[in-house]
Amino acid sequence: MIASVQRRAFGIWSAFLYVFLLIPLACVVLASFNYESVQSVPPTQWSLRWYGEALANPNFVRGALTSLLVATVATIIATPIGVLAAFGLWKSKSRYKVALDAFFALPIVVPGLVTGISLLIVLTAADTATGNVKLISGHILIVLPYVIRTTLASLSQFNPSLTEAAETLGATPAQVLWKIVLPIVRPGIIAGMIFGFILSFDDVNISLFLVDARTITLPISIMSFLQFNFDPSVAAISTILIGITFVSTLLLERMFGLKRLFAGG
Amino acid sequence: MTVYPLGAALPKRQRTTGRISRAFGASAILTMPACIVIGAGVVLPLTYMLILSIQAPDPGEVVLTTSFTAVNFVKFFSSSFYLGVLLKTIWVASATTALCALLGFTLAISMWRTSARWRGLCVIAVISPLLVSIVTRAFGWMVVLGDNGLINSLLLHLGIIKAPIHMMFTNVAIIIGLVHVFLPLMTLPILTSLDRIDRNIPEAAGSLGASALTIGVKILLPMVTPGLVSGITMVFSLSMSSYILPALMGGADSGMITTLIYQQFVVTFNWQFGAALVAVLLATSLGIVGLLIFETSRRTNKWMARR
Repeated sequence: MIASVQRRAFGIWSAFLYVFLLIPLACVVLASFNYESVQSVPPTQWSLRWYGEALANPNFVRGALTSLLVATVATIIATPIGVLAAFGLWKSKSRYKVALDAFFALPIVVPGLVTGISLLIVLTAADTATGNVKLISGHILIVLPYVIRTTLASLSQFNPSLTEAAETLGATPAQVLWKIVLPIVRPGIIAGMIFGFILSFDDVNISLFLVDARTITLPISIMSFLQFNFDPSVAAISTILIGITFVSTLLLERMFGLKRLFAGG
Repeated sequence: MTVYPLGAALPKRQRTTGRISRAFGASAILTMPACIVIGAGVVLPLTYMLILSIQAPDPGEVVLTTSFTAVNFVKFFSSSFYLGVLLKTIWVASATTALCALLGFTLAISMWRTSARWRGLCVIAVISPLLVSIVTRAFGWMVVLGDNGLINSLLLHLGIIKAPIHMMFTNVAIIIGLVHVFLPLMTLPILTSLDRIDRNIPEAAGSLGASALTIGVKILLPMVTPGLVSGITMVFSLSMSSYILPALMGGADSGMITTLIYQQFVVTFNWQFGAALVAVLLATSLGIVGLLIFETSRRTNKWMARR
């Protein structure tokens, strides 16, 4: 009797936790379909009006283009560097391997705010970089550790006797790499790229200090919009972002397993 | 990192060391680009900033000089205003971490007990908020907690309250937002620890008459300590250094140390003092987290050596 009451109570509590996690996102989606110009949930009159407004807002459009450019270039630069590093780490038998692994996690461990500020200081002292270059150099640091992680996770499940078998059968090292190793670790690499791209696209902490008046990323233009306006067009643009994120999350879970990305287990 | 002591000179282990250094040579070349990127992008800027914090304030100037001074730190530690801000930041981060630990532990247990079929869905529900931009999530909480928001309109509709309760732009709003952001980061390491537990153990305890609560607190909790500690470490240091949520949900004058830091860099251009504030922030969160890890390992050792 007591056990069943406890179980029921725990079930309700867990349901509450899932609601807590999802309710702000659900509310953003709901608010975006409201016709009136004040935020209210649930909507009194349904409409797609604010999607039109959001897509006509030049700040959002320019921000989206900047974010897209920065995230794409950062991912393209960080991926080969990260894949090479993962291979190096995988092959390494050095006693410094653990230290090197920790070193590669530095961009995750150091808070984004601190990374952004210290990059701002150094780039200002060097006085060379312009808006996009500054943003991209910061965003490479966002993408890189995740590409290393996911590639390494794929490599750790790789059976080394496969390469030995290929070598015995006469494959050249290049053939082994292209035909045996790469196809097996490809899901890991792609998962790292998608994940790094999302984090780069969504980033505010590092970008906050690297944007200037002409190059502003989408999350930052949403943030400054939130500080001064409060109409539902921000809900509409956020809903589009949430939609894109959910689709990529599903893809990642199918391809790689989300838990491995975060917990490393 | 890439410098390997050339132990190949040792005659006794020549063959093996030779192979190791050859293997390491290849991996040194492979890891080199990433080392350079992280060295130039994180280590060097961080060092530069820490040196800047011991330079005399000079608005708009970032070039280092050879004269060092502690004037920025004296300014910080001699002012009750700045110390108050630091204490408030520690308080908010601790409250966030404690709530996250409580919610995260129960959420992880509930995920652990979910059947394999539903588990993927649960993991998506927990992780997807993590992938949504922090700005969107802050906005979501504005919609939930605002004066015309979900909670107020629900309570007004049900006739429980007569006028909307102000929840936005308070400390409670900041803490709710931070807990929401960091809950997944607490839950997942705990879940990883739980996955290593033999499911027969809690079952055995149950069949010997332990209640669900006893099993949770006396059996599962000690066994997930590694995950819990890594979650606490992560959540505490990230809450200490969070800027966006306090700025958006606590209003402009939220009084967190990160707000002060932002002002120094973007408004008053006193970068030397700003760098000192960052140094204080890093030292405080490293100190508290270090103390926690030290204390846990001491207790674990004591527990292992008992009897």
